[in-house]
Amino acid sequence: MKRREALRLMGAVSVFSVLSSDLFAATLRAQLAENKAGVLRTLSPAQNDIVVAMSDVMIPATDTPGAKAAKVNEFIDLILTEWTTDEERKVFLEGLAEADRRANALFGHGFAAAVANEQAVIVQAFDEELAAQRNEKLPEQVRPWERTLVLPFFAQMRRLTLVGYYTSSIGQEQELKVEIIPGALHGCVPAKSEVNQ
Amino acid sequence: MKTVKKPETFDAIIIGSGMTGGWAAKELTEKSLKVLVLEAGRPIEPDQDYVEHVPITEMKFRGMGNRRETLKDQPIQRTCYACDEWASKFFVNDTENPYTTDPGKPFAWIRGRQVGGKSILWARQSYRWSDLDFEANARDGLGVDWPIRYADIEPWYNYVEDFAGITGQAEGLSQLPDSHFLPPMEMNCAEIAVKEAMAKQYGRDRVMTIGRSAVLTQTHNGRAACHYCGPCHRGCITRSYFSSVNATLPAAEKTGRMTLRPFSVVHSLIFDPQTRRVSGVRVIDGQTRKALEFQGRIIFVCASALESTRILLNSATPEFSSGLANSSGELGKNLMDHIMGGGADGIIPGFLDRVQFGNRPNGIYVPRFRNVSSKEKNFLRGYAYQGAAERDGWERGIHETGFGASFKSSLRKPGPWKMTFHGFGECLPNPANFVEIDKERVDAWGVPVLKIHCEWRDNEKALLHDMMIQAAEMLAAAGAVEIEPYAPYNPPGLTIHEMGTARMGADPKKSVLNAHNQAHDVKNLFLPDGACMASSSCVNPSLTYMALTARACDFAVSQMKKGEL
Repeated sequence: MKRREALRLMGAVSVFSVLSSDLFAATLRAQLAENKAGVLRTLSPAQNDIVVAMSDVMIPATDTPGAKAAKVNEFIDLILTEWTTDEERKVFLEGLAEADRRANALFGHGFAAAVANEQAVIVQAFDEELAAQRNEKLPEQVRPWERTLVLPFFAQMRRLTLVGYYTSSIGQEQELKVEIIPGALHGCVPAKSEVNQ
Repeated sequence: MKTVKKPETFDAIIIGSGMTGGWAAKELTEKSLKVLVLEAGRPIEPDQDYVEHVPITEMKFRGMGNRRETLKDQPIQRTCYACDEWASKFFVNDTENPYTTDPGKPFAWIRGRQVGGKSILWARQSYRWSDLDFEANARDGLGVDWPIRYADIEPWYNYVEDFAGITGQAEGLSQLPDSHFLPPMEMNCAEIAVKEAMAKQYGRDRVMTIGRSAVLTQTHNGRAACHYCGPCHRGCITRSYFSSVNATLPAAEKTGRMTLRPFSVVHSLIFDPQTRRVSGVRVIDGQTRKALEFQGRIIFVCASALESTRILLNSATPEFSSGLANSSGELGKNLMDHIMGGGADGIIPGFLDRVQFGNRPNGIYVPRFRNVSSKEKNFLRGYAYQGAAERDGWERGIHETGFGASFKSSLRKPGPWKMTFHGFGECLPNPANFVEIDKERVDAWGVPVLKIHCEWRDNEKALLHDMMIQAAEMLAAAGAVEIEPYAPYNPPGLTIHEMGTARMGADPKKSVLNAHNQAHDVKNLFLPDGACMASSSCVNPSLTYMALTARACDFAVSQMKKGEL
């Protein structure tokens, strides 16, 4: 049964509590098909290696998969290709080069080749620098999603890694366990409540 | 009369299929009229067009929107919160639909051109006016006095609410009359705490109540109860919120007396100087660009406040050289919107082991408390707050520091409860805020566009400032911490409560429409939408437009039966 047919039937008799996530299996896939998985359009293989490694340091695999498994790098490549301004893209790619320079200076090899502890040292430094220079004075009339991409490399990296991860199937379904149709409203219930009536 | 090839004549022509057009279609067809509804935009098929359940994982830009495309085609529309990656298709293309403004005085004209108009994407907040509002102009000596009072519209509020379905909590407040309510939605943990603290601090002077919303909390007139998915502005496959597509147009369709014609861009009205009536409508077919004419006995212009006025301005005749039905000279004047966004947020400590289940498509409401029983020195009239308490999601991590496994683990849980109040303030009628036809420009269909002159004045600015101060004070009273007050600049228009420019009034020399939304100068012409407003109140206006429309339809049909029309 198609999602919408099912919903209409459900709507007619008002029994949303029995909805299961299976009903959403048949959602639109067209937009994903447009971008062939794994084909990068802006990031070079070397730049891509840095993005993969850095995003996975930020959101690693734990009891759920991390940024690498969620293909955050492919999302970032899409954003750099079809969304950012030229200036933002330049700042971002320069940041990747800076990560490599710092890794070379500290450890004698590039960022992607560094071990996890070494990568964490560099990410920690970027994070502290960002915290120091963070400027929340944002341009007016720009939607919140788009505001900080005019900011430095690591502000971009931070935002795109988090958006890329938490809006992926892994992020939504495994990490956050988002329910698209709760089916009921309860204002104040214990966390982890199984209440759905 | 010029000869038009076999014109099909309708009892009524309705221009626009949104909030008021849908009501006019329902009312007039149910009163046995043969009705033509002209809609400038495309048809809407809910099964294909509604996208409220499409998960963010399926969106190409994962909710960040197609930035380059919207910067090019929707640079104005994209500033509206609801013009997101899912719903931007329900907003107009700004390149095809231009208008002009004065340098440094932006007006954000947010528009939806499709069957359903903006009723698809509205925020559904529904509040009655009171006599505090209807008497405001008379009391302050501003604009013109309303030709109606609460008693005139009350039965029509009842009538439209019983059909549409409005959820809310009765409070018995004189400044915000109760509606015929469906059961209220629940407040969440932090909102209940704030409500109780405010009751202690302010008594009945400042009441926090659950929002009043055109969303069904139980099955109603054949439409299903809300399933709490959240983003109503993307559509609703179960028709649980009120829109013309979900409710009034199907009712009109059921009568068999409605002809709905999408892609019908109205150029102007045809005035017959012999009969002193409008005889029909000039239309540009939106797809073929062919010029067409349709004839009708009465005409309801329901194109949205500024589009309706634009049509009248573009319908000038030798007699009405400054716009049809404009013997008063008031057409286009006294444009208003609500000044929005002054407020504050703060953290409400506690309740960390508790959550809200379900995405409530509604917030809380603090009815107007300024200039109700007291008299303020710094400003006239007042404002109301909308707001909500929420626990931040993963997005807060963007602005935090930290990374790695522990950071990921912390973002899995929601953040603390954050309570927000943001105000909506009344805008005074001011003839210096006005629209006219820009003779230099036409839209994609060759129709002359509007030039909009509008800016916030001192009274609105004073309201915005007070919204900020009082919101912070209320949060402090509720024990909030990390209170952040704000009073951001939002251009007029962005609240999407634009209204006025063809005001109602008792005196034909000072107003365009009479007490029944009928043009003083042209008896078979009605404007029941936001254009008719003589003042703006501070409450969300759509419910009042609905009631005025149903009332105007009742009047028009009774006049037809008496042979007056």
